[in-house]
Amino acid sequence: MARDTVKNVPPAEETSNKDKQKAKEENEAKTDGEKKDEFEELSEEDLQLKNELEMLVERLKEGDVNLHRPALESLRTLIRTSTSSMTSVPKPLKFLRPHYVTVTDVYENWLPGDNKLFLADILSVLAMTYDEGKRDSLKYRLQGSREDPGSWGHEYVRHLSTEIGQEYVYRTEKELSTDDLMALALEIVPFFLKHNAEADAVDLLLELEAIDQLPQYVDKDTYARVCLYMVSCVNLLVPPDDILFLRTAHQIYRQHDKYTEAVSLAIRLGDHDLIKEDFEAAGHIDALLQKQIAFQLGRQQIDIPEIEDEKLKEILSNSHLTKHFIALAKELDVLEPKTPEDIYKSHLENIRSGFTSGNVDSARQNLASTFVNAFVNAGFTNDKLISIEDGTTWIYKNKDNGMLSAAASIGMIMLWDVDLGLSHVDKYLYSPEDHIQAGALLAIGLINTGVRNENDPAFALLSEHIEKPKAMMRISAIVGLGMAYSGSHREDVLELLSPFISDTTLSMEIASLAALSLGLVFVGSCHGDISSTILQTMMERDESQLKESWGRFMGLGLALLYLGKQDAAEATLETLKVIEHPIGKQVRVLVEICSYAGTGNVLKVQGMLHVCNDHLDKEKEDDLHQAFAVLGVALIAMGEDIGAEMALRSFNHLMHYGEPVIRRAVPLALGLLCASNPLLNVLETLSKYSHDNDADVAINAIFAMGLVGAGTNNARLAQMLRQLASYYHKEPNCLFMVRISQGLLHMGKGTISINPYHSDRQLMSPVGIAGLLATLVAFTDTKTFILGRYHWFLYYLVTAMYPRFLITLDENLNSLPVTVRVGQAVDVVGQAGRPKTITGFQTHSTPVLLAHSERAELATEEYISLSHVLEGFVLKNQNNFINHCKF
Amino acid sequence: MPLVKVNVKWNGADHELEVDTDESVELLKTQLFTMTNVQPDRQKILFKGKTLTENTDLNTVNIKEGSKFMMMGTVGELPKEPENKTLFVEDMSDKQLAETLKLPSGLRNLGNTCYMNSTLQCLRAMPELQESLNSFASGSSSSAGAADTLTTSLRDLYRNLNQTTEGATPLNFLQILRSAFPQFAQRNANGFMQQDAEECWTQIVFSLNQANIPIPNRDSSLSSDGEITSGSFIDRYMTGEFTSTLKCEEAPEEEATVIKEKFTKLNCHISVTINYMQNGIMEALDERIEKNSPTLGRMAIYNKTSRISRLPSYLTVQFVRFFWKADRNVKSKILRKVKFPMEFDASDFCTDELKNKILPLKNRLRELEKERESAKKRAKLAIDNTDQDLTDSKNDETTVEELKKLIDPDLNKDIGANVSGLYDLCAVLTHIGRSADSGHYIGWVRKENSDDWIQYDDDKVKTVSQEDIQKLDGGGDWHTAYILLYRSKKIA
Repeated sequence: MARDTVKNVPPAEETSNKDKQKAKEENEAKTDGEKKDEFEELSEEDLQLKNELEMLVERLKEGDVNLHRPALESLRTLIRTSTSSMTSVPKPLKFLRPHYVTVTDVYENWLPGDNKLFLADILSVLAMTYDEGKRDSLKYRLQGSREDPGSWGHEYVRHLSTEIGQEYVYRTEKELSTDDLMALALEIVPFFLKHNAEADAVDLLLELEAIDQLPQYVDKDTYARVCLYMVSCVNLLVPPDDILFLRTAHQIYRQHDKYTEAVSLAIRLGDHDLIKEDFEAAGHIDALLQKQIAFQLGRQQIDIPEIEDEKLKEILSNSHLTKHFIALAKELDVLEPKTPEDIYKSHLENIRSGFTSGNVDSARQNLASTFVNAFVNAGFTNDKLISIEDGTTWIYKNKDNGMLSAAASIGMIMLWDVDLGLSHVDKYLYSPEDHIQAGALLAIGLINTGVRNENDPAFALLSEHIEKPKAMMRISAIVGLGMAYSGSHREDVLELLSPFISDTTLSMEIASLAALSLGLVFVGSCHGDISSTILQTMMERDESQLKESWGRFMGLGLALLYLGKQDAAEATLETLKVIEHPIGKQVRVLVEICSYAGTGNVLKVQGMLHVCNDHLDKEKEDDLHQAFAVLGVALIAMGEDIGAEMALRSFNHLMHYGEPVIRRAVPLALGLLCASNPLLNVLETLSKYSHDNDADVAINAIFAMGLVGAGTNNARLAQMLRQLASYYHKEPNCLFMVRISQGLLHMGKGTISINPYHSDRQLMSPVGIAGLLATLVAFTDTKTFILGRYHWFLYYLVTAMYPRFLITLDENLNSLPVTVRVGQAVDVVGQAGRPKTITGFQTHSTPVLLAHSERAELATEEYISLSHVLEGFVLKNQNNFINHCKF
Repeated sequence: MPLVKVNVKWNGADHELEVDTDESVELLKTQLFTMTNVQPDRQKILFKGKTLTENTDLNTVNIKEGSKFMMMGTVGELPKEPENKTLFVEDMSDKQLAETLKLPSGLRNLGNTCYMNSTLQCLRAMPELQESLNSFASGSSSSAGAADTLTTSLRDLYRNLNQTTEGATPLNFLQILRSAFPQFAQRNANGFMQQDAEECWTQIVFSLNQANIPIPNRDSSLSSDGEITSGSFIDRYMTGEFTSTLKCEEAPEEEATVIKEKFTKLNCHISVTINYMQNGIMEALDERIEKNSPTLGRMAIYNKTSRISRLPSYLTVQFVRFFWKADRNVKSKILRKVKFPMEFDASDFCTDELKNKILPLKNRLRELEKERESAKKRAKLAIDNTDQDLTDSKNDETTVEELKKLIDPDLNKDIGANVSGLYDLCAVLTHIGRSADSGHYIGWVRKENSDDWIQYDDDKVKTVSQEDIQKLDGGGDWHTAYILLYRSKKIA
């Protein structure tokens, strides 16, 4: 929307200027009529011009055809040579204005011929000052000689393009032909492009619904700016224009051999064939470039199974991630494992709580420590509690389901390192304690999240346990499969899991989690079979079963299938209307918010706010869908800055006037909207909510604080959480959540982000969103899930976790330290010249960490980056030109 | 099929081996066992999304030259369940909690009863008192006096307190206290009035004394010495003895009279010259009184010089902070800052006789302390002090024996008497506010064997540090020490 204004500002100014001018002129006309002393006001020069013009007009009126041509010539010269400023109309136009009507009459009476065409041209220019509603400029332009419109100056061209837009709307309504308009527009577009007005060019073609014509006019000097503008418009466009824009921009990038840009657009489009095509095409040009693209695809967890090349396969499978992450840790000197106490720093808390002193174990606090330990040491493959020789001791320091989470935490610590991780988990698969065995299964799932291994250990091991009679094992295996193969669209997982959904004799718990896992695996796939299976079971199951808290995950599983697919979910939404049980309504909201996730679609946001309007009586009516609607506002708005900011304001209102169920969801929505992006105002707001009278609001707010600060080590937030720990030291539930948040804040010791947006915040990771949503939905019933027996829902965050690093690699994929500047990203869309893209930068040597809304650029010309975005893994080529110059 | 070379990845390392696909998986596992020492039955071999089982025919799984397998398995023992099951706070009963947490419970405020609550908490700092109360047979007869009922009630209250972590409600005790001492039942428009904690303290101690609560049982080895086992707890443990000399100022030739008096607390007078508690006490010990002189036959001024001839185990020191302002009809408070020591040497206030008795032990204790201090310093300097620690502990045992020998035999027989003249601060009762009948009383009690203190603000109990205690010496509107309870320094 900001871009919208940016886009609109010049015309707005223009019209206001015109208004002023008109007013001025009218004033002048008045004085003309009253005093008749206009000659006194005009300088001698102007007077002369005026007389000359009037003389020329007189000549046109005369019948002498021979004089017409020279008169027109001199008129044209006078008009073209006159200089104008922003604030005033060119003099010739001003003086000719009173004669406009006369000249049009003259024009009508002339016989067709060259002169008439010529006059039409001039009239077209004159009409600019005259009447706007009639689109005379355009009319005469089309009747005129059709010489280059640019020769009449920029202002004229812009005026024309405005009128073309209006005329187009008019004609399409009347169903008239628009070919001539199109032809004219295509004349104007190159002019705009040449004159730094790519926004006008794109807008014009957008208005004419002909954006696909653009690529032919774009050249190597303009393509970058054109594409930048187009891509940033996408969030503000209504379908199907947004897709069209992306495709056009993609085409332009491809035309100019900008493969990484093209691929990231192809990813955004979610068009697998296009991605593959780009990928293969890049391979023909440069093997290194292809590797770079493979890194990009790996980040988004897109697999191209057809690839044979071992190296590329390895990159695509992300198996390098753990190696580089550890290297980064070494570089940043954070390899040393941290204990939960290192994070709590309870000596800085005001109150020395009775529960921490002495050697009594609190199951709840130990569980919190388990999670904190897991999140803080995630991916580092070592810690001080559980992966050590004596790790079992710590597992047994947790109670019942706590043991499950404790055993599973090994998976978090060993994240991405399949080989080492599995050997750590192995011994717990033989444990006599069911909880530990189940936890080990979950750990297997966690380890394999985000990485692929050709031996598919997760599938091999978990599929064995999925038939186990014990529900606990089954659940862990189902959940583990969901995590390990999130986003992979693996059909064999579908075969394995879909019976669990359709079998109505199984508990809701298992069926729902199977649905959720399939939702994760087939995220954004619109897979018809799965959605019909889930819908079927929803219709078949008893009301009492659907009433269970688990129902929401079944719905979420369904919704995830349509993540970001916009209207592809229509049919499912219709089918859901059939379900009379409240779950139908809940799931409808879920499907709708997921399908528009990250689109910034204002209408959908309004729709969701509308859902929140009703004040429902919880006793009589189910109000859970309102909680999802609140989450939806954040989910839909999150892709786009202005929308996100507006959402923040809406939340404020909801917090004031909403029912409890809405108020509880608001902090969660804030957490989703600003994941790993600790904006000060959001922190303050959440800090306020964290002292809310409603304990559920407080707990959710505390968790949201963790989400917002996840992996940032934000000192201010750390201080806030320590205060909360003192404040809530007597309330185990709140304290538990504070601890979890402290763990999240220091996730990966400050190296891991959970923000689903990456690559300069252009790409949304669907698995990331899915993981966040699964966790947040669990928080809509904290008592049952997070504070109850199912705290392992917190591990769903794993799919959103990714190091926020920039690592530069050389041709052999070895780390290559390069100096880069890191600073706040600046929006440069539509700015003239070569504006700076970052501000307040500092120079570092890679590897470096990038915070949300930070951007890096190379500080040396020694290397050339193969990727357009410096984030994640970036390959560097020696800049041969520079090297050449050195010698 | 011929032998195929494959790679097996285990524990992050590659192992190369040749597989005969015609052979069973078992053989493969044995091969791997020789390489990795992982028992075959504990091996899990993963290949292309499948686990190889005993029945898998290796020919069917499409093994190629250079295929990569993955193996899971652990060498050696599987982790065992720890022998002791962890007991969680959440599973404990209140009683267990109170025992394990050692965070004592507070007392609820029943409307301006903080004076009583703080007093009770401070008195509770004497474990011997609780023992004594426990062995106190409850009101043997129905005609038990007020003192007996109060004592019984106190005993029950303390028992109660030790078994919960929640705040206890001392309603019963309060009622008995009010019926025994009606002054505490004073009311004003707003209900029961605030009372002076010192008065409450005195009355409770007085009642306990009346009830004659027994001396707690001590080690049989000591009691066998035929020492005095009679007497009440209050007499033995909390009561000291002054030897006072009265000398008439106006008749110098008059013979000084020596009297012995019992005391349950030392007063610390506060005047403009007093900055330390010791000075205040000293001033209170040297009094000028007016009394009838037998030689002069009229009232005359006497100098009364009191010295302590017996030090009890528990020494109470009261700061005389309140004085009666007749014009405003209130007990007004002196805010002056008076420093009190965490470790108190009472020997200056003793009679010469007593001084001599306690001197050897006191000096030795002081020396030991110095030694320990310097040892600590040395330990800080030396990095590996493990050996030293060992010798230290040995030394400790011998020194305890040595110290015991230094105890004066008379004092040793005297149960409940202080033998070294040295005291540690163990409880503080503070007041905040400007007059005794208003403001708020709080008890602060030292945790056993620790430098941490517990603050009892009615039912709000929390741990504070020693520094916080030292801030209680007055001079402002913060909590100000009113009554201190010192405990004999432990020899061991």
